[in-house]
Amino acid sequence: MQQHEYDVVVVGGGGAGLRAAIAAAQASDGNSRIALLSKVYPMRSHTVAAEGGAAAVTRDDDSLQAHFEDTVAGGDWLAEQGVVDYFVKHAHRELVQMEHWGCPWSRQPNGNVQVRRFGGMKTERTWFAADKTGFHMLHTLYQTALQFDAITRFDEYFVLDIGVAEDGDEREVTGVLALDIKTGALHCIRAGAVIMATGGAGRVFKFNTNGGIVTGDGMAIAYRNGVPLRDMEFVQYHPTGLPGSGILITEASRGEGGVLVNKDGYRYLQDYELGPETPLGKPQNKYMELGPRDKLSQAFWHEQQRGRTGKHGTSDVVYLDLRHLGKAFLEERLPFICELAKAYVNVDPVHEPIPIRPAVHYTMGGILTDAQCETPIQGLFAAGECASVGLHGANRLGSNSLTELLVFGRLAGEQAWQRANARRNTPAKSDDMTAKTQYWQQRISAMQQNPKHAAVSSWPQLKQDLVATMERGCGIYRDEAGLQQSLNDIHELKVAYQRMHVADSSRGYNTDLLQAIELGFSLDVAEATCLAALERRESRGAHQRLETEYQQRNDEQFLKHSLVRWRDEQPATLEWQRVDTTLSAPKVRAYGEQGNAQASTPNRTQGGKV
Amino acid sequence: MTQPRTCYVDISRYDPERGDQYPTMQRVQVPYDDSTSVLDVLQYVKEQVDSSLSYRWSCRMAICGSCGVMVNGIPKLGCKDFVRDYVAHKGVGRDHAANDAPALTIEPLAHFTGERDLVVNMDEFLTHLEAVKPYIIDPASRPNNPSAATHSQTPAQLARYQQFANCINCGLCYAACPQFGLNPEFVGPAAIALAHRYNLDSRDHGKHERMQVLNTHDGVWSCTFVGFCSDVCPKGVDPAAAVNQGKVESAKSMLIQLFKGSSIGDSRS
Amino acid sequence: MSYKPELTGRWWLKHGHFKRYMLREATVIPLVFLLCSLLAGVFSLQDVERFSQWQAYMAHPLVIIGHTVALGAALYHAATFFVLFPRVMPIRIANYTLPARLMVAGQWAAVLAVALLCLWLVTGGRV
Repeated sequence: MQQHEYDVVVVGGGGAGLRAAIAAAQASDGNSRIALLSKVYPMRSHTVAAEGGAAAVTRDDDSLQAHFEDTVAGGDWLAEQGVVDYFVKHAHRELVQMEHWGCPWSRQPNGNVQVRRFGGMKTERTWFAADKTGFHMLHTLYQTALQFDAITRFDEYFVLDIGVAEDGDEREVTGVLALDIKTGALHCIRAGAVIMATGGAGRVFKFNTNGGIVTGDGMAIAYRNGVPLRDMEFVQYHPTGLPGSGILITEASRGEGGVLVNKDGYRYLQDYELGPETPLGKPQNKYMELGPRDKLSQAFWHEQQRGRTGKHGTSDVVYLDLRHLGKAFLEERLPFICELAKAYVNVDPVHEPIPIRPAVHYTMGGILTDAQCETPIQGLFAAGECASVGLHGANRLGSNSLTELLVFGRLAGEQAWQRANARRNTPAKSDDMTAKTQYWQQRISAMQQNPKHAAVSSWPQLKQDLVATMERGCGIYRDEAGLQQSLNDIHELKVAYQRMHVADSSRGYNTDLLQAIELGFSLDVAEATCLAALERRESRGAHQRLETEYQQRNDEQFLKHSLVRWRDEQPATLEWQRVDTTLSAPKVRAYGEQGNAQASTPNRTQGGKV
Repeated sequence: MTQPRTCYVDISRYDPERGDQYPTMQRVQVPYDDSTSVLDVLQYVKEQVDSSLSYRWSCRMAICGSCGVMVNGIPKLGCKDFVRDYVAHKGVGRDHAANDAPALTIEPLAHFTGERDLVVNMDEFLTHLEAVKPYIIDPASRPNNPSAATHSQTPAQLARYQQFANCINCGLCYAACPQFGLNPEFVGPAAIALAHRYNLDSRDHGKHERMQVLNTHDGVWSCTFVGFCSDVCPKGVDPAAAVNQGKVESAKSMLIQLFKGSSIGDSRS
Repeated sequence: MSYKPELTGRWWLKHGHFKRYMLREATVIPLVFLLCSLLAGVFSLQDVERFSQWQAYMAHPLVIIGHTVALGAALYHAATFFVLFPRVMPIRIANYTLPARLMVAGQWAAVLAVALLCLWLVTGGRV
């Protein structure tokens, strides 16, 4: 087995991973060795599919306080308020940094950066690059990273595990174990710090906006090594995915003035406490289509129950109408949306409304970290969608996550370098890397050697069962019976997974094996999601329960983070963690007219510290 | 529901570990409807027929650039190319399966080294991409200078390079370029388009450095304007235009250097 | 553990786009023929007999066919070139990019003007 030594290992080549690698290289003045591992070439990472934009307070009539309040209220008071505070203060400088690195932000005629409206945001503060913001950010970061000699890329390396050294109660990370996809060889890459930046787990659900690689690998690796997953029950449904494929139609479509109508052409959002109806072509922040994603997806569900949705193929749909915006404007601001609608549902948005329905989009929860992105395992950091640094609470506001990649990617990179630098001259501790290597070698050959008779499943079958049960029991609205059923299904699938057969026994580019391993990761993440959803017997943000007694937010019992802990060959366990609400005490979360009425009453518990 | 239509597809298979010297074709019968993409076909084969099939994919929405393949000899993004367009072309009735001639032949991207099945060596392309220094070069910029303001860039200045910034690095243009096929050292369409994108960016000061690469035989001058690269580009980048605009720039910079008396390729002025 | 596909000399037969490209490049052959004919004409100006021989050569049906092919080749090459031109040298005036179609039309107008000028010269201004 090949051994490597680095200061910092970054796992994941998306926005957060690249930003972290650059930050670590800069923090060390180039005097460091940074390994950037990614299971795909970095520009394939799913950051590439983000469309709408990145939020930061920009306009003179905006304030850090307003961005803070929008984010905390958007997250239904489950965000870590100190973290949100740090975030809003560092957002703008990160977007400026991207501008210096060449990101092609859309501009105003005077040459300044343009900002657009986004759901749940009080003021226009979302920077964008047409409707391919994530794509442009990712390529800008990838290309910028090419300049740094300190960064060594390991493209198409699949990380299986981390090494951990235990010293009494102290646990330290010692590196990663990775599989070189091209050759099938295992590599042990030791480092003073490891940053997980592996993205979300949307592929745990059947109908989602995510790429095939979004399988929760990094979450599962940290989780299996004793780091709790936090707030996993909060899964964001994006209100506008294309039927059939789930392909994302950006929220910016609504920010720029698009409206949602049901099969009767009625703007149904006014029936769900988001009204009154705003005039066509005059979107108003936090009203109607510019409400937050959880509320809009929930409104779809109610329309569906009332039989007011249309049909596209076998899918129930509502419609996103952009026609009034006109061809020239759509081509300037939403060219990719036009391209996607034409290619995948054969609809030209200039002339027809786009059929859409909610699709799983984002995992608010993730690997538990402190405010410096470090997990309970010393030297193990996490940033981006795989992490739960505590920014999003129970519901993420659109355009906060692209900025999150930058703010917390940089922070994780700098902190990781500091940690690695401090550990540079300390003697290496004995860790479990050898044992883990043996485990994975055995695990892989077991999968390939398990007898292939009819009773033993293959990963495609198990995966289909997993995504189906998650969709059934863990969707936009949930109840005890459905969640318990899904949790039982997952436990059964985990048993079946142990006996699963992988037909392909070759080493190089064995995608059969990789997808099988990914499924194992997904199963663990799914279990955590279901368990947390089952135990949270209230409705908050993206987590909505159908039972009458759980339909309201219950701060008395559940103003807490859920923490799910993994146990080997036993069901996971759950505990609760207190939430930081020192800057803004919880109050009723309201949008539309009610939100406006509420905004005039002051609510902060401690002055204007933000 | 009507019975799903099916058609035959030939897929190029190659696994050196099984002792394959060259690829062979595997014929598979696959179901399809009006929304079935070539990528969906590959997913079907992998999950239902033969799980050993290897190919790259992720976003399935034509933005990550992973799933480039040759479909009937033409470079395509698997996720943005649809079976309906091929069976319609053949003019065959509702059930294409009656005729077991393949409607589609799916092969790895041409001109790249084949690694396994539909997986090719993308490093051959990324090496060229890195060679053109595709990032803002600005001697005046200081790293991590958050207090600095953004540059001013008008929509017109943005429009000059925006098209060339839309490249998703899928490599289809390299599979379309016979000059790259004949000479793998040719920097190639996407990399030159990216170099051009930064040369045209009002914030950049690195044109001189990039022209050192573009001025060479393996730079813009390997291009004979076949133009197929732009035809196959799934994002409308028009790399052929970038390469040939690069020739104009190259000619200019060579003339300037000629008058200055320094040899091409080593000037640092 | 990999294979490198080799491009054979017949690569351009693979599909229509490459064939059209080769046709564009091949337009040089009839044009060389035309150029040789004209050069021969220039040299034949030295004496009357050789000039009348050249005139007879130029009137030969095969030569006329060859030159007609050259005219076609020149027009085909021009057509392909004119379409490429706006992509290679886009013309921008302030915020406005000249539409490609206008540039192509402009080039054809120039061809027409040159053709008319030649006709005027040949006919000695009688047209």
